[in-house]
Amino acid sequence: MLIPDSANPVTREIFRGQKRIPAGKCLPVLAILPVLLLCLPAAGAQSAPSPLLEAMTSELHRAFTSLGKQPGQTDADKQTPPYFISYSVSDSSFAVIRAEFGALANSVSSRMRFADVQVRVGSPKLDNTHGNHRASAVQAVQLPLGDDREALTRSLWLATNAEYGKALDNYLRVETEEQVRAKEEDTSPDFSKEPSQVHIESAAPPVEIDRTAWEQRVRALSKIFREYPDVYQNIVMLTVQNQTDYFVSSEGSQVVTPHLSARVVVLAVTRADDGMDLFREQTFEAEDVAGLPSQATMEAAVRELGKSLEKLRKAPVTQPFDGPALLSGRAAAVFFHEVLGHRLEGQRQRGDQEGQTFTKDVGKEVLPSFLSVEDDPTRTRFDKTWLSGSYQYDDEGQKAQRVDLVSNGVLKTFLMSRLPIASFSDSNGHGRAETGHVPTGRQGNLIVTSTKTEPESDLRKELIAEAKQEGKPYGLYFEDISSGFAVTTRSSPQAFQVIPLVVWRVYVDGRPDELVRGVSIVGTPLAALKKIVATGDKSEVFNGECGAESGTIPVSAVAPAMLLSELETQRQAQGTARPPILTIPGAPAATASGKEAAQ
Amino acid sequence: MSRMRNLPTLVGAVLLGLCVCAPCFVAAQQTRADAEKDPVLNAMLQELDRSMSQLQLKGFAKPFFIQYRIEDVEGYQTKAEFGASEGLVHNRERVARVTVRVGDYKIDNTGAGGDGAVALESLDDDPIALRSALWMATDQAYKNALAAYAQKQAALKQVQTPPQADDFSHEKPVVMLETPPKLSIDAADWVSRMAAISGAYRKDSAAKDAALQYSRSEFDARAITEWLATSEGTIVRKGAAEYRELIAVGTQAPDGMSLDRSYTSTGTSLKDLDAPDAFNKHAQNLIASLVDLRKAPLVEDEYHGPLLLSADADADTMNALLSDSVTATRPALGTQARTNGAFASSYQTRVMPDFVDVVDDPGLKDYGGKGLVGAFDIDEEGVPAQAVNLISEGRLVNYLIGRQPVRDFPQSNGHGRAGLTGEPHPEIGVLKITARNGLSDTDLNAKLIALAKDDGQKSAYYAETLGGANSPRLLYRVNADGTRVLVRGAALDDIDQRALRSSIVAAGKDLFVANYYGDVPTTVLAPALLLDDVTVRRANRKNQKLPFYPPPE
Repeated sequence: MLIPDSANPVTREIFRGQKRIPAGKCLPVLAILPVLLLCLPAAGAQSAPSPLLEAMTSELHRAFTSLGKQPGQTDADKQTPPYFISYSVSDSSFAVIRAEFGALANSVSSRMRFADVQVRVGSPKLDNTHGNHRASAVQAVQLPLGDDREALTRSLWLATNAEYGKALDNYLRVETEEQVRAKEEDTSPDFSKEPSQVHIESAAPPVEIDRTAWEQRVRALSKIFREYPDVYQNIVMLTVQNQTDYFVSSEGSQVVTPHLSARVVVLAVTRADDGMDLFREQTFEAEDVAGLPSQATMEAAVRELGKSLEKLRKAPVTQPFDGPALLSGRAAAVFFHEVLGHRLEGQRQRGDQEGQTFTKDVGKEVLPSFLSVEDDPTRTRFDKTWLSGSYQYDDEGQKAQRVDLVSNGVLKTFLMSRLPIASFSDSNGHGRAETGHVPTGRQGNLIVTSTKTEPESDLRKELIAEAKQEGKPYGLYFEDISSGFAVTTRSSPQAFQVIPLVVWRVYVDGRPDELVRGVSIVGTPLAALKKIVATGDKSEVFNGECGAESGTIPVSAVAPAMLLSELETQRQAQGTARPPILTIPGAPAATASGKEAAQ
Repeated sequence: MSRMRNLPTLVGAVLLGLCVCAPCFVAAQQTRADAEKDPVLNAMLQELDRSMSQLQLKGFAKPFFIQYRIEDVEGYQTKAEFGASEGLVHNRERVARVTVRVGDYKIDNTGAGGDGAVALESLDDDPIALRSALWMATDQAYKNALAAYAQKQAALKQVQTPPQADDFSHEKPVVMLETPPKLSIDAADWVSRMAAISGAYRKDSAAKDAALQYSRSEFDARAITEWLATSEGTIVRKGAAEYRELIAVGTQAPDGMSLDRSYTSTGTSLKDLDAPDAFNKHAQNLIASLVDLRKAPLVEDEYHGPLLLSADADADTMNALLSDSVTATRPALGTQARTNGAFASSYQTRVMPDFVDVVDDPGLKDYGGKGLVGAFDIDEEGVPAQAVNLISEGRLVNYLIGRQPVRDFPQSNGHGRAGLTGEPHPEIGVLKITARNGLSDTDLNAKLIALAKDDGQKSAYYAETLGGANSPRLLYRVNADGTRVLVRGAALDDIDQRALRSSIVAAGKDLFVANYYGDVPTTVLAPALLLDDVTVRRANRKNQKLPFYPPPE
């Protein structure tokens, strides 16, 4: 599921003390109070060897050689030793500046360390992570900052001890369940054999930004919305994060990689008179703040958002439609992420609950032959655009690889973590997870390429021609898509839904294009993907965050514009609340439409 | 009706010879003009005026009451474990809570859900931004209020018994502008102090005997500035600060039983917190107590008889048994009840022995030189706090109440309190429990032994500290010769409202100050308490496996 960056603001409340919290009835306004942190004197770029890495390595070795091997145990009491342990530590320094309504709402910086401890008991063939037990195979713990060895190893010891207890319990259940259930369709092992990795880089530097200057920039971007009084709410947020990932395993892997990112997210919200909530968002990404676009560029983009929302709230609601459609590159990128990308994740090819749409299709044509799809986390840029989904090593310590998923329409492979499947036994460096989750095969930078390209102006002509041929008064042009979701479990239809933000009717009779609202794209993947008939000659990037079983991770999707001979839409779920009764403070009384609603 | 308003309080006052004192703020009469000099209040008042005069959905009622509350919260938090810091949190945010009422004071929209909305506010004193967040929340709160009012009207038609009191009390508007406290924290110093204290075990030879499994420390400080404006003309600026440091250590007994100890020092200023040496001494004592607890015998299967609660343990017990019981909240629609909770029907009856008095006095700012976090001058509904005699000579003579009246209690006594962004509700401030003829610890102990003897018991029990209701952390078996044996694994039963009424034999003369750091900070001052019939039994919690392998050297 792809979520625009801004749709997922931090929503915890601070300082909820230990006393009972009065049951605040119905206070659903906004996400408030992100808990954020102030930086400690930072450790700075570490000179090798890192004391943290050394503490992780030695404590892991001690755990691996101690667990299940304690003397003095009776046979009955004897514990199964682990066959694999890994420690994965993320040490991140970050700054967040947030503005709303043209003023600063939050400005903080922080540094935190978290460790994920994984313990595997049994054997690679069958272990405690089998089947539904996978999610329980990790223990997350906050680690002290600094280099104090005693404190670091003690924390790791506590977490390892807890995780080992859980692993023993789960392994016992797995063994029993194996005895009582029918033979599984996919009898692949639970853990792939991979070479150990040693790759040690310098730690990421702490985040250093000119806070006052950036506060002013973020504030100024938010203030632009005062020119658009019908934009009821806006959030502009700068997030700068410099993270170092440390990974050690009982197989001998030692990986230290830095990962830097800077992102400005602009979210703007309005509501149509019929109660439909409408929003637009725009993000700017770079490796660091210096790489972000100029203020003038961002201001221009924010004005575009404001204008587009004011138009959108007045646009007519369109009816369900089944006919030709043109997706912009950005829209096509989200479409591919949802419709194809999620179904090519390795773990979805095994398990009794999975729909397994493409499991048996390796070597078969799943897309028109002019399309190819790769996932390449090693790539950090597409043209000049920085890609969010890039990384050097995945969260299982495996080297990131460019993977050709579909070549000339033919399915070649899947996105593999260290969970083998019947057709593929090895990881291809796509085992990804948010802290506290067990990694699974996930997308990084999904890139769709085409050999049948034409200028977008030609695609538009073809859209009109196609609509005419089908006897439709218009075709639909999807300019921007916010997000979507894909259902891959067997118990539900193998459907997808994506929520467009900006949709135009392109009329066959030469009338000007008409902006409409209120539809979402629905369909089933096998049918929809085969309806692509041509693509544009320019690709666009969608940077966002993707949420699934292994948590929320940054991803990118890149695709050219695409013409589909048929696409189905349905009415979008919508709110029913009226727009605000009074105009937003500061608005010239006559301009905003809020007043009209009151009459 | 207004003639009756303070009758219960006055009865208590006459009996006790105490005065129902006005809140302790003195200042030249402040006015709206003074408030308008504050940019936050000025923005609030402008938007409040606009909403009151213009906010109306065609065909529906205008609001009859709007309240804006903005809270500016600055907080520091630093945690450490095993001798090293996990980092420092420093955050500052402003949040707004908007309450809109439609209908009238007799019947309004409240009680049917949705009587407010919250929004993140601007940190800049930018009038447009400040007003925008209020505008958005007001719009939502008004729409919610209209929907709730319609629902309430429908619900009222379903019941034969009408509501027993009005929905909203009339109170005199107040303008009160305080200078709120500012946090002044040497953050780096607290980071290193917490790191050091969480590592105290490393220099303590007892730690090895304790087989210590965790050692955590935390320092919290927060200051809140609160601005309040109502359509009735109340304008308030006030502030509060609270500080806390704590250390928690734990291990397992050889049979797997979890053993946990913690110590917290809480106050309204940094000087209320323990000096580093004193705090360190507490940390050492906690570790030493783990060593003792590991060796301590299990409590016997079951015991019924006398028990002495230390003042510390009694403060937690009183907080659990009294704090919610003495507040008056609106009963379910259609019933004839006065209020809810354990004391719902106890008005003017005996709820404690006749030598016990209980007062809630938010004006008590310190006690024994220690700042009380539960103290306040004016509540979150803009009503000045009053000292309220709740239990007089053992009889319940009053309730704590906000602006939501209940039968016979038509006015607020200034106890409508709220946590961050929360809806005001009656809550204790500084709850003080005192006993006439209170005894010294020595006398209480002697009385405990005597009681046990009369009861034919070989021994009795003394609870020194609790770790949550009814679960003692330090519990001693007291022998007839006065010697004490630490035991573990106990749970206390039968310490309930009935025990308050009929099981209390004696109480101490010294009060323990329990400051509860939290969303709505509260304080309980309580004496030691001797109960004659309490059950002590095995807690029988699950004993987890001992560590699978030893901790690192």
